[in-house]
Amino acid sequence: MTLAFYLLGALAIIGGVITIGARNAVHAALGLVGTLLAVAGLFATMNAAFLAATQVIVYAGAIMVLFLFVIMMLNANAPVTGKDPVPFVRELAGIGGTLIAGAFVVIAYTYKDPRPLAEGAAAVRGGTAQAVGETLLTRFLLPFEVVSVLLLVAVVGAVALVQRPAPQPDGFAEGAALPASHAGAELEREVQV
Amino acid sequence: MVSTASYVALSGILFALGLVGVLTRRTAIMAFLSVELMLNAANIALVAFARAWGDLMGQTAVFIVMTLAAAEVAIGLAIIVSIFRKRETTNVDDLASLKG
Repeated sequence: MTLAFYLLGALAIIGGVITIGARNAVHAALGLVGTLLAVAGLFATMNAAFLAATQVIVYAGAIMVLFLFVIMMLNANAPVTGKDPVPFVRELAGIGGTLIAGAFVVIAYTYKDPRPLAEGAAAVRGGTAQAVGETLLTRFLLPFEVVSVLLLVAVVGAVALVQRPAPQPDGFAEGAALPASHAGAELEREVQV
Repeated sequence: MVSTASYVALSGILFALGLVGVLTRRTAIMAFLSVELMLNAANIALVAFARAWGDLMGQTAVFIVMTLAAAEVAIGLAIIVSIFRKRETTNVDDLASLKG
């Protein structure tokens, strides 16, 4: 168990470093996939079987595929060149990040387990789908329903945001090139603003 | 058994990595990937505390966070795609037209 923790933890951190350091966006996304799979393993070592499976299917599967699709579709895998407008942002972020990570580690080790870990691990009943589902449909029933509405909003919103404007009856697609008179009016309004 | 503190420390390190990513990366998609890293760090801590207290609430909260992340990614990537269509860039430094 200890070996699994250190191995998976190291993999997660390596994946995280690749995510924030890779110049190519596809490499960064694949680094994040590595982190997500390592985190799924960590869930499994903490008696969270259902979450480990969900992590692999939803996160490493669905969400990262969406990311890779968009990165490749926008051809965004080329690194951004040129000078960063914020001076010394890398150095400052590196120093600040190290300090924050150090503070987190120091604070984390002040935490004492409230009871023997084996007892707690037994109480979560392996984190199976049945155990999590019972909590989800009793104590978490309202959040569960609200999340379903949220997902509906997300689906409708995503479709509405990326759909092409529908062709208008007069032949001009909304948002397409306006006739010259319109374009002139637009320009005037912009100048006034 | 590995102590809860070790898991929370790992979670803190991953969170700091994500934070550095958000601060330094300059395309919207890369900042977004770093946010996902931070969400996962928080999930590790939640599951660790669920085990420490023997309460499944933590794991259920992680499940809801995952759902939220999926919704957030769908909307966020849709916004990035529609910005890219209008502006031909996802570099956050060029998308400063709302700057006061």
